[in-house]
Amino acid sequence: MKTVIIPFSRRLPGTPPELFVTNVTAKSSPSKTIAFAFAGALALIGGILAATWFNTPATTRVASGTLLQQPRVLPPLSLIDENGQPFDVDQLKNRWTLIFPGFTYCPDICPTTLALLKNVQGQLGPKAEKLQVALFSVDPERDTPERLKEYVHYFSPSFRGVTTPEPNLKAVAQALGVAYAKVPGATPETYTMDHSAALILINPRGELAGYFTGPLQAPALVADLQQLL
Amino acid sequence: MNPTRSILIVTLTLGVTLGLTACQRGDGQITTLNARIPAAPPGAGVMAGYLDLRNGTQQALRCDAVSGPDFGAAEIHRTVVEDGQSRMLREQIVEAVPGAIVSLAPGGLHLMLFRPQRELRAGDQTVLTLRCGDTAVSATFQIQDLH
Repeated sequence: MKTVIIPFSRRLPGTPPELFVTNVTAKSSPSKTIAFAFAGALALIGGILAATWFNTPATTRVASGTLLQQPRVLPPLSLIDENGQPFDVDQLKNRWTLIFPGFTYCPDICPTTLALLKNVQGQLGPKAEKLQVALFSVDPERDTPERLKEYVHYFSPSFRGVTTPEPNLKAVAQALGVAYAKVPGATPETYTMDHSAALILINPRGELAGYFTGPLQAPALVADLQQLL
Repeated sequence: MNPTRSILIVTLTLGVTLGLTACQRGDGQITTLNARIPAAPPGAGVMAGYLDLRNGTQQALRCDAVSGPDFGAAEIHRTVVEDGQSRMLREQIVEAVPGAIVSLAPGGLHLMLFRPQRELRAGDQTVLTLRCGDTAVSATFQIQDLH
């Protein structure tokens, strides 16, 4: 059986369009038949693969947020840690990392989130060793390494605190998908920072793997991390 | 049912009903509950205060200032998360209609307490005063362990 398309010029007057394609029987050699069958099979496999590719969502939902199907490679970060030492993608490798964008002059949601992460860390048991938590300060003007160290270690001695001055802050924030803005206060020293609320998940290859979005709840976060770690 | 038990049940029911009615009507008082400040890391330049404010009066309550001897400055703020962005708004106002309880709680309305004048540790207390028109509402805040 072979499918042929009747050229337009051969269309009989009054023939409906659906009759343009018709089946006719034609004799063909066995090798040609095999070649056609092979090509057909290839086309079918290609079609299935293409359909799978196009139908695959870019992200997967987990209880606390979204995982990227294709983790994103990060550029060099050139951050400074709480000890004043360089902190880069290498420091993100061989463990999972939760990065929390914030600043230490934030008395409400930042300490609440860090206390929650401390709680989560405690509930992970032995798996907690595979998880690193880092506060990424979007306020390098006030958050010196010394201040970051005092702040994050108040919650857990294992928590990290990282930042970088402008203009690198903007570049790192962009790479991590973090938005931030300085908002003036009543006096110059009482300004606050708007910042992305989501936690950033980095996989052990140092790639951006997803985001945990609010409202963050310890049980859901623990359940998600138990599966990942 | 024996008569003593019946009298006891009727008395209790009456007591609860009268109590609830009194609560609904308001007792003419502005009261504060659960006033607390989470302890902050050493050297913190700012802390947050939370409480429940109950307006038992017949008038709407509007507080627009806060102060305390242990802080260099204090403001009324609200944390909001919009479009994935965490923002702190200088709301400067807490309002409660008659009979309402307004909760200042983490992730929402809170007292923003700048420049602590002394180290406030878990177990310590400090007094803050809300200015609500002609009324001053003072509360003793417990410093609580964040963990």
